[in-house]
Amino acid sequence: MKKKLLLLAALAVMSLTIVGVGDVSAEETTVTKQQAGEEQQDEEKQSGEKVIESIDDLSGAKIGVQLGTVGDIYASDYEGDDAGTVVERYNKLADAVQALKQGKIDCVIVDEQPAKASIENEDSLKILDEPFKMEEYAICIAKDNDELLEKINSALSELREEGTLDKIISNYIGDDTKGQYPYVSGEEISYDNGVITVATNAAFKPYEYYEGGEIVGIDIDIAKAIGDKLGMEIVIEDMEFDAIINAVDSHKADIGIAGMTMTEERAKSISFSDSYTTTKQVMIVRGENLAAEELTFRENFVRNFITDSRWQYLAKGLKNTIIIALCAVFIGMIIGFLVAVVRVTHDKTGGLVILNAICRLYLMIIRGTPIMIQLLIIYYVVFKSVNVDKILVAVIAFAINSGAYVAEIMRGGIMSVDEGQMEAGRSLGLNYSQTMTSIVLPQAIKVVLPSLANEFISLIKETSICGYIGLIDLTRGGDIIRSITYEAFLPLISVSIIYLVIVEALTFGVRKLENRMSTDEK
Amino acid sequence: MNELLIKIDHLKKTFGDHVVLEDVNMEIKKGEVIAIIGPSGCGKSTLIRTINQLETVTDGKIYVDGKDITDKNIDINEMRRRIGMVFQHFNLFPHLTILENIMLAPVKLSIMTKEEARENALKLLERVGLYDKASAYPKSLSGGQKQRIAIARALAMNPEVMLFDEPTSALDPEMVGEVLELIKELAEDGMTMVIVTHEMGFAREVANRVIFLDEKGIKEEGTPEEIFKNPQSDRLKDFLSKVL
Repeated sequence: MKKKLLLLAALAVMSLTIVGVGDVSAEETTVTKQQAGEEQQDEEKQSGEKVIESIDDLSGAKIGVQLGTVGDIYASDYEGDDAGTVVERYNKLADAVQALKQGKIDCVIVDEQPAKASIENEDSLKILDEPFKMEEYAICIAKDNDELLEKINSALSELREEGTLDKIISNYIGDDTKGQYPYVSGEEISYDNGVITVATNAAFKPYEYYEGGEIVGIDIDIAKAIGDKLGMEIVIEDMEFDAIINAVDSHKADIGIAGMTMTEERAKSISFSDSYTTTKQVMIVRGENLAAEELTFRENFVRNFITDSRWQYLAKGLKNTIIIALCAVFIGMIIGFLVAVVRVTHDKTGGLVILNAICRLYLMIIRGTPIMIQLLIIYYVVFKSVNVDKILVAVIAFAINSGAYVAEIMRGGIMSVDEGQMEAGRSLGLNYSQTMTSIVLPQAIKVVLPSLANEFISLIKETSICGYIGLIDLTRGGDIIRSITYEAFLPLISVSIIYLVIVEALTFGVRKLENRMSTDEK
Repeated sequence: MNELLIKIDHLKKTFGDHVVLEDVNMEIKKGEVIAIIGPSGCGKSTLIRTINQLETVTDGKIYVDGKDITDKNIDINEMRRRIGMVFQHFNLFPHLTILENIMLAPVKLSIMTKEEARENALKLLERVGLYDKASAYPKSLSGGQKQRIAIARALAMNPEVMLFDEPTSALDPEMVGEVLELIKELAEDGMTMVIVTHEMGFAREVANRVIFLDEKGIKEEGTPEEIFKNPQSDRLKDFLSKVL
């Protein structure tokens, strides 16, 4: 009990320290702001930070972008030039914005609308008036799917002519028109012509983002409008931005719509529809943002968890995390168990040569490669073009992964059982597998139970990479909140506290179990 | 007493290049009690373990009831049921109670129903004087008690022959007596037994025949009288002078 209290106290101190540090840096910024322009520049230069006021200042700067976006492509032109320009690539715009705020980078190149959304509550960041580049968004479709491409193009031109396209866009952009023209599907539409699976990256407000547990935004409405025109049902698949083209190319999704700019590089692997909107790339830099609203901790908390019931992203994610970890550890134990028995049988009797070779190959591959790569391979390669539930994919990936570790734990457990136990069983006339199952394994399991429980605990934490296949687990739940609120601290801390509580509870349980086992058999 | 039960024929056993046993020939008749003695490392344990094939042979044959148990095609599990074995380190199953230790094999092998096995086990426990330990775990027993349970466990299969591999070597001196006493009782009941032992007094008292094993093979064999009172070879004389 005392330990628990101590832990809580430590946590509290940790949180306070982080909040405190945050406050100090905020104050510093204010002071800096008050100083005269020249002085400020000098100071920033001294601390290694470069001030960006126009495109010309970009060379030699540290540029932040979202991985795989047009900003990334354009910024890459600067990378490696004589001035020493550095491009930092982030998975989420929110991460890039946080890095900019903390001075880790000098500017962020991103599409205009997400840029605006991202600095709504940041008083120390602003968007430069000068646009970085004009560009056009389009829908991407697999190269071998010209039939769908034509359909979509004709649907798009119809939508443009009747003004629906403009309405959808002005429903999200423009202070006067926001919320005025919500897109509603006609009532008499029948969706008999099949399904269009749409890949997107719902962290790109206002084009696609989460609201009230749903993915919404300009692109989503356009996709729905196209579906309505074609009489096809729209199914949205959320994934990382840099995975969209892959998903469309491999037919995991029929089309991709994610504020995607037409570029030559992309056109090599996929086809683009006609453009549906023109937009610009802008630069976010540090500087006073007069429009920003300063938020108190309380307001921040409400914004991150209460508004639109955003806590539900965490709840839903937590549910998935637990389902995946439990199923995976269960199947993993069966796999590990079988592999261990094969390996031990081979070691002891010299039999099962082929099975043993397969098991060793399995162990080598699984233990020699990162789980994230395994997860991606199982999703994109093994289940390529098979529409399979992502939770199932995650369960399979983690079960296979965990099985390899459980196998080695189990093998150690079996080896730790005295040779005499096997001999005693065999001398009584039991065969090898009877002796194994009723004498050796029960003892081995008792030995390895704590290690197995620890494997489960680390598995829970490992599932935090599920977001890479677009699955909403606990970590991803926090990421979704971050991509809506562009706030790093609260979602990240609350996610870690939830993991910590689960792990602590399990550790406590394991300790209880160990204690009980050691008093057993007396 | 004349029926041949086990015949060891030109047995050879090597571990890698190391020859442990060579050209061992031996016959065991029903009801015989044979003590195998000899210096440490002479292959006594290896020899007794080949009789139930816990140790495979390199060359030669072993017949039990006329069947060659070194034959790959024989059902060795079926043969082992008829050969009880007691180990130096007891090898009780620590995760099972005493009663479960004794019942396990007869029930698993469908030789008895659970009820029969239980009844039989309790009877055996009574015989080895540990009836009250039925529901205890091996951990709570003394060494001598453990070995008596191990004997009961082997007897539960109603074996035709019992092999004892140094049954008292791992025991504290004060516990040796109770185990030897039990083995003696078994002998008096007519059980065929092969005992590897360092207890010369016991060998002398219980065995019908004593086999002296040294340097890869049987160097001398005979009645206890012959072996202990009138040893022929220098090696046996030397060995006896050290252990007696």
